[in-house]
Amino acid sequence: MQNLMIKTHEVWLEMLMAGFMSNTENKQVLFDFSDILFRHFTWLEHEVIELGESYSYDRDAIAIKVDRLQDILQDIIKKLDVLDLQLLSSPDKELNARIASDIHYMRDVLHHMNDEVVTAFNMARKFPNIDLTQEATDALTLFLFEETYKEYELIMIYNYLKAHSDDAYMNRIFQILIDESFFHLKRFGDMGAKMGILGVPRVIMKELYQVEDIVQFLKEGINEELAAKEECKKLSDAVGKDSPELAKFFDFINHQENYHISLMEDALKYFDGR
Amino acid sequence: MTVDAQLIEHMMNPKNYGSMESADTQGIGKNPENGEKVAIYIRVGKDEEQPYVQDIRFQAIGCTTTVVAGSMLTEEAKGLHFQGIQELVDTTMNFLDKIPEEDAACSEMVALAIKAAIDTYTKRQEDADYPVITYTVSNSCVPKEDHSEGHK
Repeated sequence: MQNLMIKTHEVWLEMLMAGFMSNTENKQVLFDFSDILFRHFTWLEHEVIELGESYSYDRDAIAIKVDRLQDILQDIIKKLDVLDLQLLSSPDKELNARIASDIHYMRDVLHHMNDEVVTAFNMARKFPNIDLTQEATDALTLFLFEETYKEYELIMIYNYLKAHSDDAYMNRIFQILIDESFFHLKRFGDMGAKMGILGVPRVIMKELYQVEDIVQFLKEGINEELAAKEECKKLSDAVGKDSPELAKFFDFINHQENYHISLMEDALKYFDGR
Repeated sequence: MTVDAQLIEHMMNPKNYGSMESADTQGIGKNPENGEKVAIYIRVGKDEEQPYVQDIRFQAIGCTTTVVAGSMLTEEAKGLHFQGIQELVDTTMNFLDKIPEEDAACSEMVALAIKAAIDTYTKRQEDADYPVITYTVSNSCVPKEDHSEGHK
């Protein structure tokens, strides 16, 4: 069961990366499929917890560097086939049938998807129609690597906390934060792909999500959000002269962090009151 | 950090990233100021009775600079005998005052984690239960042993 969960985690990320690589109508389909695979991952995680098995979010490295979209789609199809076979040996037949049905449909759609040339790894570091100075380009490059990983990290942390909580109030907060981080991850990943510097977020260390002190975690989380706001502000200033459009985007992300902080403060008050 | 193609390659595909189930030794480097840390895992080979780094992995709670430093230094460390590892650590430590301060702490943390892993291995030749050694970064670059975490 654990292995099935880990392999689903890997295919979810690979599908998401394929979405970043696409510049056509395929993109939204691939994003939707990656969302479906993330849900499969959470269902399987729930089963692992129900079975009382210990687990982690460790996974293998995912090779994504391709020249054509079909190359990664074929790899994903092979991995979906393996998942389909692994499902046969897991105990919850109803869950397996539900996941298998999704896999069969996704596999069929991927088989017929139009091919595209992939430029997400060319390291050109140029945005279409935007000329940034070298300094702004470097700042944006570092920001995208830092924050793409950070958003993935936050999704995994909040998902782990939610998976181990029966508290409806906290789970509402965790789910909102997961949804917000997914939005940021998709935007930053897309920008990384446009810049030709797409990379898979690295595996996160267990101690980050196997949180022992939730209050301390929330306090540190608020500080990190404040730091992220500062980074957005710096980046907005750095790119503002060359691209008011990009500056507006980073101001928008900056303001979204206020809501995250507010949610985490609500969670802190909730824990203090218990 | 000055961003060039080589650095971007390490950011996009960090080399040797991840944990290692069958590691013979581990070491930790950490920065107590911000909670960042690097864990190093090494599988040790024997070449004419001299131990060497057969395989190496690292994981990091830290920034992109730390990941780039981990990727570069673990690539350098692969295949080196322990004497060569000590030289790699020394060279890195001597280089720290030539790079920006914020980048220096990241590279120092990786170098100290590698040193910690080698030192843990050496200690375990006498005491198999010796805990994983943690070194903390310091301005003077003198490693200070800390047994507050990281038991075998």
